[in-house]
Amino acid sequence: MKKYLKISAFTLAAAALTACGANNEAADNNGADANEGNGNNDNNAANEVDEDLDGAEDAEVEEIGDADAEVELTFWLFGATGYDELAEEYVEENPDVNITFQEIEMEDHHNNLFTALSAGSGAPDLALIEESDIDNYKEAEDRFVDLNELGAEEIADDYLDWSWENAQNVDGDFQFGIPTDIGPTVMYYRQDVFEDAGLPTDPDEVEAEIETWEDYREVGAQVVEETGTPMADNPESVFNAKRDQADESYFNEDDELIIDESPVRAAFFDTAEMTEEDIIGGLGHWTPEWSDGMNTGAYATLLGPAWMQGNLKDNAPDEENWRIAAMPEGAGNWGGSYLTIPDQTEHAEEAYDFASWLLAPEQQLKSYEMMGLFPSTVDTYEMDEFTDSSDDYFGGQNTAEIFAEAAQNVDYVYKGPDYGDVNEEIIEGLFNVYDGVDPEDEWEDIKQRVEQRISR
Amino acid sequence: MAAKEQEELTAIGSPDENDKKPSKDPNKKPKKRIYSQRQRNMMSGYLFISPFYLLFAVFGIFPILFSFYLGFFSWDGLGPMEFVGLNNFNIIFNDPLFWKSIYNTIMIGLMGTAPQLIAAILIAFALNSLLIRMKTVFRLAIFLPYVTSIVAVAIVFSVIFSNQESGLVNQAITFFGGDPVTWTRSEWGTKIAISVMVFWRWVGYNTLIYLAGMQSIPNDLYEAARIDGASLRQQIQYITIPMLKPFILFTVFTATIGALQLFAEPQIFQGGARPEGMTVVLYLYRDAFGSNAFGTASAAALVLFFIVIIFSSMNMYFTNKIGRSSKVGVKK
Repeated sequence: MKKYLKISAFTLAAAALTACGANNEAADNNGADANEGNGNNDNNAANEVDEDLDGAEDAEVEEIGDADAEVELTFWLFGATGYDELAEEYVEENPDVNITFQEIEMEDHHNNLFTALSAGSGAPDLALIEESDIDNYKEAEDRFVDLNELGAEEIADDYLDWSWENAQNVDGDFQFGIPTDIGPTVMYYRQDVFEDAGLPTDPDEVEAEIETWEDYREVGAQVVEETGTPMADNPESVFNAKRDQADESYFNEDDELIIDESPVRAAFFDTAEMTEEDIIGGLGHWTPEWSDGMNTGAYATLLGPAWMQGNLKDNAPDEENWRIAAMPEGAGNWGGSYLTIPDQTEHAEEAYDFASWLLAPEQQLKSYEMMGLFPSTVDTYEMDEFTDSSDDYFGGQNTAEIFAEAAQNVDYVYKGPDYGDVNEEIIEGLFNVYDGVDPEDEWEDIKQRVEQRISR
Repeated sequence: MAAKEQEELTAIGSPDENDKKPSKDPNKKPKKRIYSQRQRNMMSGYLFISPFYLLFAVFGIFPILFSFYLGFFSWDGLGPMEFVGLNNFNIIFNDPLFWKSIYNTIMIGLMGTAPQLIAAILIAFALNSLLIRMKTVFRLAIFLPYVTSIVAVAIVFSVIFSNQESGLVNQAITFFGGDPVTWTRSEWGTKIAISVMVFWRWVGYNTLIYLAGMQSIPNDLYEAARIDGASLRQQIQYITIPMLKPFILFTVFTATIGALQLFAEPQIFQGGARPEGMTVVLYLYRDAFGSNAFGTASAAALVLFFIVIIFSSMNMYFTNKIGRSSKVGVKK
């Protein structure tokens, strides 16, 4: 009873705070607009980044555009996207539209959206959905606007095929969303550890040395023998990388479990063997030791997406040894989002117009430059501003090109609504193998656990 | 006036009545004197207490009833609900992990609360003794963990109970010649770490309750006992504990319910749900918000509801039994 009281009090307080936030922000913005135009933009951006860092739990609400505009759109999103700044440009050209941004922490965002969609009211006109969440919504076509009806087919070619398909239903005739950013995966490696192990350190040479997973394993064995440092941070990284390269994953398109027949099985056992050979370490993602390991060189390679460079730079700001090479045997995708239009909207067309503008190649270039969101539009990769870059953190490597190449190497794989459950059980199993459980036994156990979970 | 209101308050019946009346109230309250003074007093009484009951109805009663209802349906949150009868219960009762979660909950509950309540009594006794200076500082210090955010606690403890050999606890263990423990993934390691976390966080809260209880014990009793030559142990055993009975029962009661609802600590400490630290609430949370299986999650919640009732009535039973011997009684 006490708990419910607390929860209800908290909810009320949160609602009150959000409401206040909305009013204040809106008031501020109107003031700024009335006084002066463009000069304030930079300040706003700076403030927002600061707030993002320290106030993860608070909803941040901001209204862009004329408060009396004919069409009022609401846009729910998470993470630092910089989309509000781009929206300033949009409303200048489209004065009859104003857009209210509500930015909130990722998990809360998805819970709120799920609740609003489930309840049938309260959903925004535009909502971002993260890649790992989108399959949960695909059975609910009636809760979303089919973007094809608004002309999305025409812009489909601008986007990477696989990312476009990720936001479709199985038959490919219902488009849930437009891809925003993506997370093409690469192999980050420590050149100092490679050097100590007597291996080449130059990215091109490393790519030549590690072309296949067999190479990865051999090099890994050498690294462990020479330096005592594990090749990979944890079994999850290696398994994910292999799984994402396969043409089939946990389910077929009829949602039948196929882990025993698909390449996932081999990925599990290969990873398990490497774990037993101590080539793979046991530092779980996002643990303090794992983050610290970026700084101390606790693992020789980190198989991760483009956005992982942000984590590297945050956790190991002074480190100079990280370099980027292509993932053995092709790339995968980890993360990214899709912009959807819930069916509850009254302004589907205006929402679509804004969404397709916001995610057009030119704007995606700006999001990349401002916030590092890796573009899902192929044309952006050709733009000079995109290709002319080098990153001193990675020894002056042209990182954008490496990620762009990886992005074009990704293939679409069907996931299915229970993908996350199965994945959780397999990852749990891999850590059990790390702790000493026999892989064969664990695999049988995983299948039982998975059956338990997907039967409900 | 105040006395009258109190009368009204004690006359209040079930919460349901209270929800309805105030909402009708504003419409039916014209200036005409339809209601007697007594009725009007009663209504204003209800009005005054209505905010709580309204909120409780919306955020408490309704979700509880709705989750009972959901327990008999299969629902993914977005699609249509499908009546499945007792199938949800069938599923969870056939899931070994569900039974393990009950076992874990009880084990961690015992390990986390029993030593904690004993320690709380001893700490409270020390804080209550006349020998200690700067009492406020100590009282504040012992209570501090309670106001710390669970998330922060779990993160700090996950560094202390790190799986790595370099972790604080593992270093201590290896120093004394033991083998490092995989705290977040081993059967007992996880339970011990979580119990310690619960212990650390709640011991201050219970200490303060005991302290309040001890301060209500007249000092003469101790003086008389000392004159009779009672040792410190005898004082605790024959004066403090019997006089504290109602407080002990209260803390056992709340600690039991708290232990049965354990969730955040294992969730954050293990970085998700793993079988070693899976509690019932974690189990149903994972079902609902991880797998979008709201039906089975609600069924598990229903089972938990009955477990809480069983444990609570067991507590009540013992309360009444022990209560007879002591004359002090606190209604709870």
